[in-house]
Amino acid sequence: MKLKFLSNHKVAAAGPETATASSRPLDSSLDANVAEIKRRIGNSSDVVFRSLSNPASTSPSLTFIYIDGLVNADLITQAVIQPLTDSKDLQEPGLDNEKALLLIKEHILTVSGIKECKTVESLLRMLFEGNTIILLDGAKTALAAGTSGWETRSINEPTSQGVIRGPKEGFTESLRIGTSMIRRRLKNADLRVEEYKIGRRTQTGIALVYLHGIASEQVLAEIRKRLDAIDTDSILESNYIEELIEDGGMTPFPTIQNTERPDAMAGGILEGQVGILIDGTPFALLAPATFFSFFQSSEDYYQRFDISSFLRIIRFTAFFVSLLLPALYIAVTTFHQEMLPTTLLISLAAQREGIPFPALIEALIMELTFDVLREAGVRMPRAIGPAISIVGALVLGQAAVQAGLVSAAMVIVVSFTAISNFVIPSLAIANSIRLIRFLMMLIAGSMGLFGIMSFLMVLLIHMAGLESFGIPYLSPVAPMKPSYLKDIFLRMPMWKMKMRPSTYGSQEAPRQNLPAEQPQASGNPFEPQGSENS
Amino acid sequence: MSEKKRIRCKMRHNGRSLLLVLSLLSLLAGGCWDDRELNELGIVSGSAYDWEDNEWKGTYQVINPSSGSSSMGGSGGGSTSSPPFLTYTVKGNTIMQAIERTNLTSTREMFFSHSRITVIGESLAKRGISQLIDLFLRKPDARETVYVFLAEGEAGRILDQLMQLTKNQGAGIQLMIEQEARLTSYFPGIRLFEMAMQLSSDSESSTVPEIKLTGNRVMDRTDDTAQTDLPSRIAFGRLGVLKVDRFVGWLSQREAFGLSFLTDKVKKANISFPSTPGKSDRDDASVTLLHSSTSVHPIWEKDHFVMDIDIKAGGILTEIGSELDLEKASSMRQMEHAIENNIAETIDTSWHAVKKLNADVTGFAVSIHRNHPKRWKRIKQEDSWDTVFQNIEIRPHVKMKIERIGLIGSAYKSLEPK
Repeated sequence: MKLKFLSNHKVAAAGPETATASSRPLDSSLDANVAEIKRRIGNSSDVVFRSLSNPASTSPSLTFIYIDGLVNADLITQAVIQPLTDSKDLQEPGLDNEKALLLIKEHILTVSGIKECKTVESLLRMLFEGNTIILLDGAKTALAAGTSGWETRSINEPTSQGVIRGPKEGFTESLRIGTSMIRRRLKNADLRVEEYKIGRRTQTGIALVYLHGIASEQVLAEIRKRLDAIDTDSILESNYIEELIEDGGMTPFPTIQNTERPDAMAGGILEGQVGILIDGTPFALLAPATFFSFFQSSEDYYQRFDISSFLRIIRFTAFFVSLLLPALYIAVTTFHQEMLPTTLLISLAAQREGIPFPALIEALIMELTFDVLREAGVRMPRAIGPAISIVGALVLGQAAVQAGLVSAAMVIVVSFTAISNFVIPSLAIANSIRLIRFLMMLIAGSMGLFGIMSFLMVLLIHMAGLESFGIPYLSPVAPMKPSYLKDIFLRMPMWKMKMRPSTYGSQEAPRQNLPAEQPQASGNPFEPQGSENS
Repeated sequence: MSEKKRIRCKMRHNGRSLLLVLSLLSLLAGGCWDDRELNELGIVSGSAYDWEDNEWKGTYQVINPSSGSSSMGGSGGGSTSSPPFLTYTVKGNTIMQAIERTNLTSTREMFFSHSRITVIGESLAKRGISQLIDLFLRKPDARETVYVFLAEGEAGRILDQLMQLTKNQGAGIQLMIEQEARLTSYFPGIRLFEMAMQLSSDSESSTVPEIKLTGNRVMDRTDDTAQTDLPSRIAFGRLGVLKVDRFVGWLSQREAFGLSFLTDKVKKANISFPSTPGKSDRDDASVTLLHSSTSVHPIWEKDHFVMDIDIKAGGILTEIGSELDLEKASSMRQMEHAIENNIAETIDTSWHAVKKLNADVTGFAVSIHRNHPKRWKRIKQEDSWDTVFQNIEIRPHVKMKIERIGLIGSAYKSLEPK
């Protein structure tokens, strides 16, 4: 099913331009090569062609090509241009072109990475990655010197997943910085980084990060297979990958986690998840993910277990409140008035006097208003912020009540729902709840509590049927694995969680009190025993 | 794929989605049949029934939400001087006909799920209330948990009376009877289903407290409540006795209290007694019962039943007006004895009154059925329960213990300078 889904993209992505790009070998003439490259690139102003012709004119002439902004200009001057101009060897008469190339490659250039390019395509790819291309007249091979260096954002605190206690650094848009952050946390030879280039036009770098021997081989194979099957022209953000490799089927629930935090990612990797870093976005993916992954915050492990457990309970409560509160309010006030305490009923009835809409419409109006405000809050320019909050407070508050459009109780319901929605640490699942809430409200408005119960059941059945890379979405609750429950609804103290639960398909192995002879160098302490899937 | 085939395929597809949409819509229609918005509801907090001119006369007390509570929400509604509830009085051949007729005069649909009390007029109680009980047990939104009261004269009048401190009169009366049952134990409040159970049990009798107005004017204007002492208040008076489904007579407060002892309904109660019975028979001391338990054992003695009634009670001495020396065990024993006598006497008066009404509100029939099933079968066969009941002799054994004497030891009177 999944592959079929992907193949649709393949058809869509294959444009006419890409089809003609067959590999073309470099010509031996420098001018011809430069002309070909110029033809391919067009007159882009950021591509710098620089010729270095020798006064002696006996030695072959050179042309550098690099893209301004992608390269470290100082490095080019110091490690490429200077050695080439200063080199006496090159000025020796009668130097063969091929020999000159070897000489440049092995003796003259002082940059760390040098690669050879034999085709125009590989040359261009190297160029776009920030290498400096050295074309030598008469040589059919070009050299690519690793001079990449571009401006990156400095490492900042994550904006969407803040913590009070814990590391304050978040991923940046650079893939390499991302992998280095993980590597810094997991100084272990088993940490593997596999790189992919995905996207015909964007050639986005994707890194698969996992612990060899801990991440389940089946899951890994499945992820690799799905990544390989991606055939699209662009990957601009991790969600492109997320949607393309997600388990198929229509579901509002996310089956892949995303995080901005290297520590959260390291934690996931240690539990057997596979991290997927995408160049160009600070949001990295963690797969497989279960429903309960979305309720774990990395801060849970940075504070005492009792507090974390309490917060977990709050989060699950908030989940239900966020999902059900408006629906329950609608159901109770339109169908099951007998369920309310009399005093509350009278007070609600008094508020509803003079409200022109039925409870369902009232709730929909307020919920939509809130969503509009929320969206406005995200998009608006910073300077307009206070205006939006004042207008929002008026719309969602006193003024709407005094105008007789909505009841005061409804304002409370909507506000509490909205606040609860923000308690859930993962924005991904909070958003899906937001969507389901509207459906829930409609059903509550038409069928009351009966409808809510049936819909909850349908939802549960749907969730029980979901899978994330072969891991049941509701595991370890369904299928039930009592020994894996230590970190699901409550967070047990660290000294109780001695074994790694294999929720994500990894082996169940001790996390504490490791056997003595298990250093990282002398082999893998968690050598896979045919890594079983749960 | 030929053009024709494609069109047919598309049509089939359209048909399927149409079916889906239709079934979803029908789901909505199916669900909406019983939805009611809050502002369409007339929340009934109490109902009263009378029998007048061979017709049912129902009085329904409907809460007026826009009075008071908050000025917020629906600024159109709230004038604070509007009464907290409104009453509708209607007549009909059946009760439902009466309820239906309220819709001719009211903007709201009667909603009974929050009803707290129902008052039965004496006229109806004398005619029989089985049909009313049937309605309550049958109607989906009627609550069998309403407290039942009897009213001498017209029941509907009670529902017009405004109460102080509470706006919802029905809930107020419920609170009153619950407090009363907990604190004074004269009248155990009775809910409709309990009454139905008692009337259909072996005893075939039940007791219902009387509700009345202390004055002869109904205070039914909101201005009336703007005084500290209402000339007329809602109060509980006597205990009405129902047999089968008819009213047979009243028990006084003292008789009702005795009945509470007989039926183990005493929770907390105050008993006044003479502290020095030898010197004076005037009640000059009080004890507050903190707990009391009654157990009844029927014993067949030759030709009649003897009910062995064991009462164990304990309490705290709350006042004393004599100079009794409380440090002496004998004086404590003397007081306890006085209380025991008092209780036994109360029970005796009560029993006489019950016997006179010939209604087994004591639940003796149930007790005899349980303990002597064979004899009960014979009584049933011979249909002789009434005579057996009249011949029952009761033997109350009261054990009273004063468990605490309060914060000061001796009576204050003994500290006064002579």
